[in-house]
Amino acid sequence: MAKLRRTMPPSLMRRRQHHLAQALARIAQPGHASPTADMPSPAVARRLNAILAVCAALLVTQDIEMILQIVVREADTLFPGSSGPLLFLADERGEQLWLRATRDGVVPSLSVQPGQSLAGHAYFAPRAMLMGAAQIDELLVSASDEHAAQLARVVAPWPPRSALLAPLRVEGQRLGALVLPGALPESRFTPHDLPFIQSLTDLAAVAISARRQVVRTAALQHDLAQSRSLHEQAQARLDAAQAQLLQSAKLAAVGELAASVAHEINNPLYAARNSLYLVGQELPDDAPQRVFLDIAQSELGRIARIITRMRDFYRPARDELETTDVNDLLDETIELVRTHLRHGQVTVVRALDPLVSPITAHADQVRQVFLNVMLNACDAMPGGGVLTVTTSPAGGRAPAGGVLIAIADDGTGIAPEHLPHLFEPFYTTKPQGTGLGLAISAHIITQHGGGITVESELGIGTTFRIVLPASPPGGRRA
Amino acid sequence: MGRRWRGVGWITAIATSGGCSAAVSHIIIVDSDPTAALVTQRGLQHILGSGSVVEQVPSAGAAWLACARGGIDLVIIDPGGPDRSGVALLKALHHEHPGLTVLVLTAYDTPRLRKQMAALGVRGYLAKPVGLAELGALVRQVVTP
Repeated sequence: MAKLRRTMPPSLMRRRQHHLAQALARIAQPGHASPTADMPSPAVARRLNAILAVCAALLVTQDIEMILQIVVREADTLFPGSSGPLLFLADERGEQLWLRATRDGVVPSLSVQPGQSLAGHAYFAPRAMLMGAAQIDELLVSASDEHAAQLARVVAPWPPRSALLAPLRVEGQRLGALVLPGALPESRFTPHDLPFIQSLTDLAAVAISARRQVVRTAALQHDLAQSRSLHEQAQARLDAAQAQLLQSAKLAAVGELAASVAHEINNPLYAARNSLYLVGQELPDDAPQRVFLDIAQSELGRIARIITRMRDFYRPARDELETTDVNDLLDETIELVRTHLRHGQVTVVRALDPLVSPITAHADQVRQVFLNVMLNACDAMPGGGVLTVTTSPAGGRAPAGGVLIAIADDGTGIAPEHLPHLFEPFYTTKPQGTGLGLAISAHIITQHGGGITVESELGIGTTFRIVLPASPPGGRRA
Repeated sequence: MGRRWRGVGWITAIATSGGCSAAVSHIIIVDSDPTAALVTQRGLQHILGSGSVVEQVPSAGAAWLACARGGIDLVIIDPGGPDRSGVALLKALHHEHPGLTVLVLTAYDTPRLRKQMAALGVRGYLAKPVGLAELGALVRQVVTP
C-alpha cells in the first residue's frame, strides 16, 4: 500500500477504492450472488476469498503484464470448469482486440475486431454473460474462418459448448474482454458464476486503468520536463542574444560619442588652422617664425586625422583606402614598439614574405591593429621573450590570394575562459585596460573584409592570425 | 607630415549669380560658431580683396532679412549643429530665392547632410576644417560671372 501511495495520485486512489467497493457490493447482491441469505456456502466463501485475494494482489501490482497474469490465474481458480481463460485487451484506438494472457502463459498472436467472435461480443457487452452452445456457434459464424482456426488452436475442446464472457470496463471506457470457454460439455457454467466473473473483470479493469494513468502521468511529467528544458535552452539563447545586443549598443554609444566629439572639434580646428594660414600669408617666405608655423599647421593636421579616425571607427572613409604593402606596415609598427621591446628584453623575429600581395586598406587603421596586437604580446612577456611576426600568402580562405599575418609571442598565454570574449568591447583583464583595443582591432579587420583569430595556451604563448584580402588587380595606387 | 589638408567638396554647377549686376559682390556668412565665422569672414575678405564685401550675420533670421532686401550674391552657411535654424534658412531661401547662390561650410559633415543639402539646391559643399585657400577658390568660382 505504501508503495502504491507513492506512485498513485490521491484522486485515482479514491476512484479505485470506489470501484472496488462497487465490485464487492455487486457480489453481495441478494438473489444474484449469494445462494444463502446469512452464511455463504463453503464454495461461495472460497470464491469470495479468491476475489479478495485478487483485490489485494491487484492493489500492489505495478506492472500490466503482472495484472493480466493474476487475473487469468484467479479466473482459473474461480472457474475450474473452464478450459483456460483468455484475456483480450483493446489497442489504443479500440479497433482491434489482442489476446494478452492465457493460463499457461503462452500467448499466440491472436486478434479479433470488436463485435466479432466471443471476445468481440464480450467487449461491447454491458455486463458478464453466460453462453450456451447455440449462441457460441452463432458468434463463431460471425468470425472469420482464419480467426476461428486460430481460436481452435488455443481452446480445447473445440468448439466450447458453454462460455462465460465479461467486458473489462471502467466508467464507460472499454478496455478489453475476458473469455472463459467451458472445458467439457457436462461442466456447464451457471448464472451463479456471473457476479464472480463480473467482479474479477471489474477489478482487472480498475487496476489496468489505474496503471495506465500512472504511465500516462509519468509520460506527461517527462514531456513537461522536456519542454521545461527546451524553454530553458530558448531562454539561454535569448539571454545570449540580449547580451550581444547590449554589446552592440555599447559599441554604438562609443561611436556616437566619437562622432559628436569629432564634430564639435571641427569648428575650433578650422578656426585655428586658418588663423595660422592668415598669419602665414603676412609673413615673408624666409621669416624664421615660419618653421614653427609649419609645425603648428602639421600638428593641427594630426589632430584632424585623429578626429577623423575616431569617427571612422564606425564608417571607414572609402576615399582614404589605398594600396598598401603589409610588410611595410609591420616594419613601421615594429619600429614603433622597439623602445617597448628593449625595455622588456623582447627579441623580434621577422619572417616577412616579400612576395605577399598588396592590400587595399586604410593604412593608419591597419597599423593601429598591428600595434595593438604587438603591444599586447609584449605585455604578455613581462620577463622577456620572442615576438615572431610572419607574413605569408593566405590559403583557401581568401579567394583572391590574401595575406596571412601571424603575430606570436611565447608569453604567459590567455586563460581558456577569456578566449571567447577577447574581441568583445569593454572586456579586459588588465587593471588599466579599456577593453576596446581588440574590439576595435577586430572591427577594423572586419571592415577591411578580413578576419582575426587567436590561439593561446597558458604558459606556452599566444598567436594572433589576421587575414586581409588582396587588392583587386588594377587597384588604385596611393 | 606630408598629408594634404583635404575638404569634402563638390560643385553642382557654375552659373552666373542671379539678381546682382554690381561690380562688387556681396557675401554673407551664417555660422553659429562666432570664431569660425570670424575666421571665414576675415580670410575670405583677405583672399577676395576689394572686389567683394564679406560680412558676418549674427543669425539665420538676420541672413533671411538681408536676402529679402536683396543685393546678396552668395550665402555661406553652416546648417549643422544643435540649432536647426540653418536648415530652416536654407529651405526658405531655396523656396523664396531659387536663383541665390548658397555654399555650405559645415563642421557637421555626414553623408545624410550632404544628401539633404544637394536636395536643397546648394551650389557647393565643404567640410571643416577645410583650408581657406580651398574655400577661397570655390567662392571665386561661384561668384565670378
